[in-house]
Order: sequence, then structure tokens, then C-alpha cells
Amino acid sequence: MIEDIINMLSNTFTTMTPLILAGVGEIITERSGVVNIGLEGIFILSSFTTAVATFYTGNPYFGLLLGAFVGFLSGVLHGAVSVYLRGDQIIAGIGYNSLAYGLSLMIMITLWQSYGQSPRVEKIPSLSIKVTQGSAIIISPVTILAIFIAIGVWWWLFKTSSGLKLRACGEDPRAAEAMGVNVFRTRFYATVLGATLTGIGGAYLVVGWIGRFTKFISAGRGFIALANVAFSNWNPLMAIVGGFVFGFFDALSIYLPIKLQSEYQEMFTAESSLFCTIPYMATLVIVAIIMKKIKMPRALGKPYIKE
Amino acid sequence: MSPKEVKYKIASFIRKSRIGFIVEKIRIKYVDYLTSALEIILSATVGFLIVAVLLYFMGYDPYEVFSILFRYGYGNTSYLLSKSVPYVMSAMAFSIPLLAGVFNIGGESQLYVGAFTSLLVTYYTANPVLGLLAGLLAGGGLGLFISILRVYRNINEVIAAIMINWTMYFLLVYLITGTYYDPRMPHQSIQVPKSAWLGEFISPWGRIKVSFILAIIGACVIYYILYYTNIGYLLRVSGLSPLSARYAGYNPRKAILYSMLLGGAMAGLGGALFIIGDVHSIDTTMSTLYGLGFTGIGIGLLGRNHPIGIIFAAIFFSGLLIGGQWVELKTGAPPQLTDTIIGIIVIALAIPYAYRMLISMVRRWRIK
Repeated sequence: MIEDIINMLSNTFTTMTPLILAGVGEIITERSGVVNIGLEGIFILSSFTTAVATFYTGNPYFGLLLGAFVGFLSGVLHGAVSVYLRGDQIIAGIGYNSLAYGLSLMIMITLWQSYGQSPRVEKIPSLSIKVTQGSAIIISPVTILAIFIAIGVWWWLFKTSSGLKLRACGEDPRAAEAMGVNVFRTRFYATVLGATLTGIGGAYLVVGWIGRFTKFISAGRGFIALANVAFSNWNPLMAIVGGFVFGFFDALSIYLPIKLQSEYQEMFTAESSLFCTIPYMATLVIVAIIMKKIKMPRALGKPYIKE
Repeated sequence: MSPKEVKYKIASFIRKSRIGFIVEKIRIKYVDYLTSALEIILSATVGFLIVAVLLYFMGYDPYEVFSILFRYGYGNTSYLLSKSVPYVMSAMAFSIPLLAGVFNIGGESQLYVGAFTSLLVTYYTANPVLGLLAGLLAGGGLGLFISILRVYRNINEVIAAIMINWTMYFLLVYLITGTYYDPRMPHQSIQVPKSAWLGEFISPWGRIKVSFILAIIGACVIYYILYYTNIGYLLRVSGLSPLSARYAGYNPRKAILYSMLLGGAMAGLGGALFIIGDVHSIDTTMSTLYGLGFTGIGIGLLGRNHPIGIIFAAIFFSGLLIGGQWVELKTGAPPQLTDTIIGIIVIALAIPYAYRMLISMVRRWRIK
């Protein structure tokens, strides 16, 4: 029993990391008044780039860096479209998701002639903390980094004057402009920063968790991160809790069938895809329960038009 | 009659008749039409150009790839038209709610349930009409469910729709592999009985499937509902401005519910038409259905959210998708290049402001 709890905890630490990183990044972006639905696409493209870079250099840290850079570039694209060109932010995000999916599969097929997954790549070594005899909590350094980033972003958004200016852009851009804030530039930087953090999350999927790129590597995780943003009420500290809760169900969907199979000594074939629905149903139910009470930034999703 | 009189008669005929009305409409709104045309042409060009550059760097000849894409993609008219059926419907599933100001990303799952329920109903009753009706109702019900979550629980419809998409995906994989598989071909689901298949008829342009005609009729019905009925007016007003809709005595929440019901029903009907009229069974990895709903988003946007425009956009996109598969056969270039083109086109269509800026720049230059 105690072993199960430790295993689940250790699995949850693995699954919560991308949700926290993308959630905190999206909180920065949305607090400035821009919605980025393209988290899913950033996950796919940055995890793919990380897989390619790690495969050819053998250095997962370089892969992580390059994944973050892809996130940065995606942020520049989304920021330019949604802030300076006043595009429809949701539609641009949907388009980006399709673009990222097509682009990464296209290059994967050209590089490796494989339709489903890439070859195995090097992973960042995890730390293991011994709890009892024979069981240990395994935690990746990226997870610890993600938690520190979340705390740092909370301090920046709520305790510094530049954080206040950023929040002003999302609440009332006209007032922010009158205060002397450059709304365009703030929103652009916030979008780029948020996308970069999401890029790290996507890179983590490969070098911290799975160890290879697969076609369904993200599987709606970008949208669970968006649900995490609403769950956390746009507060980075709550995003850690949200990441833990949503990550728990993700881990459960992986751990439960394995556990049940070893318990009952039979193989699941068709039923295994039934377990895959757990994280999505849980996300929907959790969001349905808490969503009534949230308060989103007032200028969220509306392009700012200067007079 | 003197030439002057003839001229006068023609002018008065044009003014009085329906043609005159259309000419006048075009004259007044020509800037709008021009911007729309420019948006569509420019975004498609940008999409093709970027992919051409990518192909060049990946070691393929872009000219060869694109000539194969267009030659084979649009070569077989009857296949092209039958392929476009689910896309017409899933594009409307996105566009009808968008006119009311809601983003329906759930066309994918609405299409899944429509396809699956119609498969079950036709399997047990062997009646295609009942099957189509079941698909319509199932898709509409799922669309209504998302909009109820949106209206009464204030859940972002995008998040809800994606969660339902993945749940439905895995649920259907479970049902098909676990219960409703074909005993003779275990990697496929049960088949629609032959007597229930929607046939095809011969026309001057080759064989045309009945399902395509039904899809066209569906689009025309939606066109009528949107532009000639009270509900359609309610949808469009609340989409343009929820506040003015409320001042006019309309309920924007009702518009969201109606639009998602209609959109979901269209996606469900699309799935049903695809199953009964074209493929007749689903494979266990769901690759027959995966992506039909997502592609519909790009088609809806390219068709300017107009049911008639969507028909043409769907035919254009299905040509690209067919051509993409031929490209893979002939040159080895990955077929996902069509996904990439579609993604770039959608992003380019999200920025109408850029095109308006371009037109005003050209105008200023002409005045100078």
C-alpha cells in the first residue's frame, strides 16, 4: 500500500511538470490579455525539436535549450499575429496547432522514415529520494525547476511594479496606456515568455519523461494545461496545485491498468483504452465544479486598438 | 425604337429585376468582396510558398510535388466530390457556432458519435434513413451538451470540446476493439449491411454519390436557416454583438445553445453520411475518422463561414488531401505537407486587419 502511494507520487511528479510549466506560462500570457490556444502545438513542435537535437548531439540539456528556443519562436509568431496584427487569437492558435502537427510529422517522416515515433534518445538523469527499503521517489530536476519558476513568477506578478503593469494590460489596457505602459510591447513580451516556458514543458516530455517523440505525445495535454490556468484562477502558486491534481489523474490512467493487471494476472487489450479517458473526464468534471467562481482578466482575448 | 429608348428600357429592366439588385449589392459592397477574395488568395499563396521552401530544404523538388498534387488531387471528379462530404459537414459544425460567437472545436467528437451511432442503427435495422437521423441526433446532442456546459457552468467551450474529443476517441476505440469488431476482420468494426448503402448515379461528370447530394442539400438548408429565418438572424446578431442582441430583446445564451445544436447535428450527419455512403465501417485505430473534424475548421474559415462558400472550400481542401497521398506515392514526400499548408492558411486567415491595411496602402498609392 505504502509502495503504491510512493509510486503514484513519483509518477505524479513526472506528469505534473509540463502542466505546471505551460500553465504558468499561459498565466503570464493571459494576465497580459492575450489567449494562446496553441499550447498543444508548442508542446508537439518543441518536443519534436528536442528529440531531433538530442538524437544528433546526444546531449539532453542542449535539446532542452533548443526546445525552449522553439517555444520562444512560436511566441514571437503568436505575439506578432495577435498583438501587432490584431488577429483573432483563438483562430491563430488553432492554426498553429495544425501547423505544428503537420510540420513535425513531415520532418519526422523525412528524417527517420517512421510514421509513429522517433528512435530513443538520451534523457536527463533523475534524482531519487529513498523513502523506505526498495522504494524511492524519482523526481526530475526539471520538475524542481518548474516549481521554482512558478513561485518566482508569482512573486514577479504580484509583488513587483513590472508585474502590476503587466496585469494592468490584461485588466484595462487603456488605463495601462495612460499610466505610461506600452501595452503592445508588454503583451508581446508576455506572449513570448509564456510560449518559452511552454517550450520547456514540451522539451521535458521527451528528455525528462518518455525518452522519444511519438505522434500522440501531447494528446490534449496542452488543453489540460489551459484548464489548469482556469483552475488556478490565474495564480501561479495555485497552478502548482492544479498541475498536481490534473497530473495525478494522468498518472492514474497509466498506473491503474498496470496495477490491476498484476493483481488479477490477466492482460487487458480493449479495456486499456478505457483507462486513457480518465485524465480527460477528470479534467472536465473538475473544471465543471470550480468554474463558476473564477474571475478572468477583463480584457482577455480582445486585441488592443490604440486611438 | 430609337437607341436611346432601348438603352432606357435595358436600364429600367436591370433596375427592377433581381439582377439589378445583385449588381447594386456588388457595387455597394465591392470593397468587402475584394478584401475577402484577397484574404483567401493571399493566405493560400503564403501557405503554398512556405511549404515550397520547406520541401526545397528537405530535398524534394517543390515544382514536381505541387504539379503532382494538383494533377492527381483534382483529376478524379467523382472521388473528389465523395471525399469532400464529411468536410462540408464538419466545416459547418465549426462555422455555425462561430457566427454566434462560439468556437466549436468539438466537430471531431460530434462526427465520431454521429458515425458510430449511425453504424449501429443501420447494422441492426438496415435502414439508411434511420441511420442518418440517429447520427444527426447524436451529434446534435453532443454539441448541445458542450453549449450547456458553456452557458450554465461557464466552462470555456474550447477546453470542454477538446476533453470530450479525446474521451470519445478512446471510448470508441474501446467499443470497436472490445465489442463491435467484425469477427472476420478483427481490425475493423462491424459493417453497414449492403442493402443500406447509399448508392451513386451517373452524371455527365462521372459517378456522383448520393451522400454528396445530401451534403449539398444540408448546406442549402443551413443557408436558408441562417439567412432567411428568425433563428438565423438571432444567431448572427448575437455573434456580431451580444449587447445589441440583448437590447433588441434576443437572448444571446439561446443563440449559443441553438448554434451548437445545429453545428453538432451537422457534424453528426457528416459522420453518418461518411459511414453509410462511403466507407461502411471504422477501423480499430480510428484512422478513418481521425482529423476530419479538425480539418473542417480550416475549411469553415476559408469558406468565409458561409454554407455555399464552404462547399467550394471543402472541394478545394479534399483535392489537396487526395493529392497529398499521391505525392507520397510518386515522390516519397510526406503527405502531412497538406496539414502544414492548412495550418499556415488558417493562421493567415486569422489576421484580416493585415489585408485591410494592405488595401488601404494600395489605395493611398493609387491616389498619389
